[in-house]
Amino acid sequence: MTETPVALIVFLTAGTVAAVVLALLFVLARKDLSRLRRHSGAVETQLHGATRQNADLGARLRAVEEEFRHLAQNRIPDLATSLRHRNVPVRGPLGSGTLTPEIDRSISAVLGQVSEEVVKERQRVDFAAQAAMRGSTTTIQALLYQLQSLLQRMQEKYEDPLVAEDLLSADFLNEQALRRIQSTAVVCGAWPGLTRENSHLADIVVGAMSRLSGYERVQVTNQLRDPVGVVARAVEPVAITLTELIANALHYSHPDLPVVVTIQQGNRGVSVIIDDAGVGMHSDELERARRMISGEETVLMTDLGDPPRIGFAAIGQLVQQYGFSTHLEASPYGGVRAIVHVPGEPLLTLLDEEEKPMSAMAPAPPERASLPGRGGTDGLPLTAASALLDGPDADAVPDELPRRRRRRPVPSDSGTADAATPERTGRTGPEDGGSPTSASRSGSPSPSVSTSRSTGTTPDAAPSRSAPPTSPEESADIWAAFQQGTASGRAAAGIEDGLGAGPAPVSGLGSGRGSSAAGSDDSRTRETGGGEAPGDGASPDAEHIEHRTSEGNPPA
Amino acid sequence: MTPPPRDHRRLVPAYLATTGRGRPSRNTLDRLTVLLAPADPATRDLRPEQRRLLQLLQPGPLSLAETAAHLRLPLSVVRVMVADLVDAGLLAARAPVPDAELPERQILEKVLDGLRTLKSSR
Repeated sequence: MTETPVALIVFLTAGTVAAVVLALLFVLARKDLSRLRRHSGAVETQLHGATRQNADLGARLRAVEEEFRHLAQNRIPDLATSLRHRNVPVRGPLGSGTLTPEIDRSISAVLGQVSEEVVKERQRVDFAAQAAMRGSTTTIQALLYQLQSLLQRMQEKYEDPLVAEDLLSADFLNEQALRRIQSTAVVCGAWPGLTRENSHLADIVVGAMSRLSGYERVQVTNQLRDPVGVVARAVEPVAITLTELIANALHYSHPDLPVVVTIQQGNRGVSVIIDDAGVGMHSDELERARRMISGEETVLMTDLGDPPRIGFAAIGQLVQQYGFSTHLEASPYGGVRAIVHVPGEPLLTLLDEEEKPMSAMAPAPPERASLPGRGGTDGLPLTAASALLDGPDADAVPDELPRRRRRRPVPSDSGTADAATPERTGRTGPEDGGSPTSASRSGSPSPSVSTSRSTGTTPDAAPSRSAPPTSPEESADIWAAFQQGTASGRAAAGIEDGLGAGPAPVSGLGSGRGSSAAGSDDSRTRETGGGEAPGDGASPDAEHIEHRTSEGNPPA
Repeated sequence: MTPPPRDHRRLVPAYLATTGRGRPSRNTLDRLTVLLAPADPATRDLRPEQRRLLQLLQPGPLSLAETAAHLRLPLSVVRVMVADLVDAGLLAARAPVPDAELPERQILEKVLDGLRTLKSSR
């Protein structure tokens, strides 16, 4: 009976132990399982995150690729275009945060460098082209000036009307060619190619318009108070500028419409105003033209277009170099108004009209255009003129104007003038009498002649002025004076030719025209042939000739 | 860039005076033709060079050649201008005295003799 319980106990014990072990194992397995489950969850999340990140990266890579494609396909071509045409915008990057700032910076650095290099290279090529043009235009210009001189000499030389007309046409064609060459040369950086003398502004305006076909349409009005001229170095630049502006006005207005040019004098300089009634300019055209004539940008030949529009560019160059200014605006006539302002301080001077008369084709200022009895012009304020030259704050000292030599200081009232310049009146005597070879006549209708006549009028000068052909009385006077002068001169020189002593010596050839000669002859006439004289009051001179010739016939 | 010595190159070309015409409307104008302007020409509608020409003749008549010299224009151009003015009735042109019509030398000498006698007899 003992054996069975032992065995039972052994089995029970073994069973118990096994159960316990199993229980422990179970517990452990449960624990392990839960741990594993947790781990797998974490791994799963990780995997998920990684996948998402992968997708993000893929998208970003695509964006970057897109960005670079945009750079190659759009931005660089944009840059190239914008280098040619300034108004074309260069597109920016597609997205803002696609690229790192570092890469962004390097890309823009590359773009900047490319554009800089392109601009430099373009300038190099352009300047080389300009130099080549300059070289050839200078030569052509010199040749055309020689041709001009030749044509001018031929015009003086050949009088045949047919030849003359052809010469004039050739001259005009030459002027037009010169204008083109000259403005091209100026755009290419050459100097105008010619230094002139100090010249009247009106001459410059007329000279400028003469270089253009259609100059007949230009109407020039001169409103200068003083004989204002431009100093030598600026004459040709101002002429070129005016030529191009007038050319623009002529080109953009109807062939029947006039182009009105007005020369005005201001306090600090002179202005030439060019108005046309043509098609006008749009605001952007006007803007572009203003930019070009300001001369503030470097002119490239590639900017001038095809066919090149060189006029405004040439003006820009000259304005920049010589210091006058040009302005463009819409004209009240409907077209364009261009104003060239030449400042008085460095660029203007007053010219002596006797030493340097205006050309015949230049319009005279209104007050000087009228002839005798123009009294007021000589009294024109010197102060205004000196203010023009010296600026507004300079004090007007007449000594500052050595060039301004008015013919003579004519006081405005004629009485004092008469007293002050008797010799002058005397000298104009024979001229009044109609002698055609008067050396004192100046090229321009010299106002001195007219003033001296109008102010210093002797009673017998009046009829001769109104009637150029001399009357017999005047002729008698003149010849009497002439003979007396000759006789007295011979007497003074001690020439004995049987004439005997002359009458009372008369001071000069012409001065005998006055009362002394007439008086002495008068008395003689009354002595010798008093009976025939109807009266000595009205015109005793008429009888002088008759008596003298009647006496001359029978030799004494 | 030294500018060359001053050049007295004309600024205003001659063709401007006649707008390029070189053929006068009349062929009677000699270089010795005497031009006479009326005392008070109506200068209102004239071109500047025409006005200048008439003013030049105000003190007295001049020959065509002298007029051209004073205006500093070629003779052919002045001839056209004068022809225009004569056509417009603003200018009188008097033909030069032909050689055949001039007084003979002997007559002039006689007159001179007479004049001298006149002087000496006084």
